[in-house]
Amino acid sequence: MNEENQNLADGQNTGLKDAQSSALVAASAIIIFSAFYWFAQIQSVLELLELAYG
Amino acid sequence: MSELIYNFAVWVDDTSWSTMLHESYYMYNWVESTHVLTLMISLGMLFLIDLRMLGWAFPDVPASKIADRLNIPMMVGFTVMFITGILLFYAVPVRSVQSIWFRIKMVLLVGCAINAYLFHKRMNESVSSWDNDAKAPQRIRNGAMLSLGFWTVVVICGRFIAYDWFDCGYPQPAFIEFVAGCVDGQTRF
Amino acid sequence: MPTSILGPYFRTIVTVAVIAAALVFSFTYARDGVYVEIQPLFEWMETTWFGYVGKTWGAAFATIQAGHLIGLAVLGGCVLVSDGRLLGIVLTDVPHRIVVDRADAVFFWALATLLLTGVFMACGVAMKIYYLPVYWYKMLGLACGILFHYYVRRPLVAHELGSINPIVLKMTAIASILVWFLVAATGRWIGFSG
Repeated sequence: MNEENQNLADGQNTGLKDAQSSALVAASAIIIFSAFYWFAQIQSVLELLELAYG
Repeated sequence: MSELIYNFAVWVDDTSWSTMLHESYYMYNWVESTHVLTLMISLGMLFLIDLRMLGWAFPDVPASKIADRLNIPMMVGFTVMFITGILLFYAVPVRSVQSIWFRIKMVLLVGCAINAYLFHKRMNESVSSWDNDAKAPQRIRNGAMLSLGFWTVVVICGRFIAYDWFDCGYPQPAFIEFVAGCVDGQTRF
Repeated sequence: MPTSILGPYFRTIVTVAVIAAALVFSFTYARDGVYVEIQPLFEWMETTWFGYVGKTWGAAFATIQAGHLIGLAVLGGCVLVSDGRLLGIVLTDVPHRIVVDRADAVFFWALATLLLTGVFMACGVAMKIYYLPVYWYKMLGLACGILFHYYVRRPLVAHELGSINPIVLKMTAIASILVWFLVAATGRWIGFSG
């Protein structure tokens, strides 16, 4: 019984670790992509403004 | 009255900042985008509060808690929308003030404000008796339904402002010209 | 306890594989092939009833677009409330399980509304959006958002908040807000393009 409970706890712990690591990977990818995307957008806006207004 | 409003709009249009905003390469687009995207904060919170009153969202969270906690981000969102809305009007004042959709939107916004005041007043007076109920009493639910309806039409009217079906610059029936406040012989549109 | 064929870190491996596949697809010629293949689909979309109504009656298109904005507002509200709770900003005295689950229920209906109204609008301007890069960024963001929400975020917050690494939790909440904001912003930019 104790071994079963232990196995259940280990399984839940592994499930949590799996969920955490997948969240870390996905969230990092999203944050890094967003940073690059918005930097590129702002750069292109600044270049266009420079072109338009000198 | 129409002439007074038109003259005021022409005066605003003649200011240099109005022209700069209207003719700017990106500023008008950024202001408009901010106005639309802030919907997520202002109307998002408001709709969640209304849906709670109807029992369709967060039924097991006390209604007063939802209304109270989501009120601040809602008001922050509305403040931003109010400021960007004024800027959008300031950029194109003549066309805005003579747009039927703009006028309906402004009337409905006043209606929304009155409805919100009455809603909060009634809620604060009676909430202790139904706070933990999944659905609010009928009067409160009516207020929530009105709020949802009014704001939906506000968004639709806001979207329709961009269309020129009833603009004063084109020949319109007399009723439309009256409601839109078109002025005979006006040179600015 | 039985484990999957990929071991105990099944979800992580699938997440990495999907991100890698998306990067490979985006930066290789595989994208061009698919892009050409789907053009007949977009040409067909314009010939559907949705496409006809959207092109013929501007009022119908604008009304559906307003419905899209309402859906956006409700989805944004759900995301902000749910992720605000995870960040410890909003409704902190309500158990996170209740806030997240209830927000999720409304999120589903808001997403359904957005998808339905989005398809209608897409049919009306199919060939315009086919050639718009910003539309494809939006679709990428949408796919990413849906996958992230249901495959990564939801299983994570199913656990007790206290047992989750606080940095991972905050990163997840911030990424969720970022991805849905990206979808909304690129959607707005479609209106300024073309």
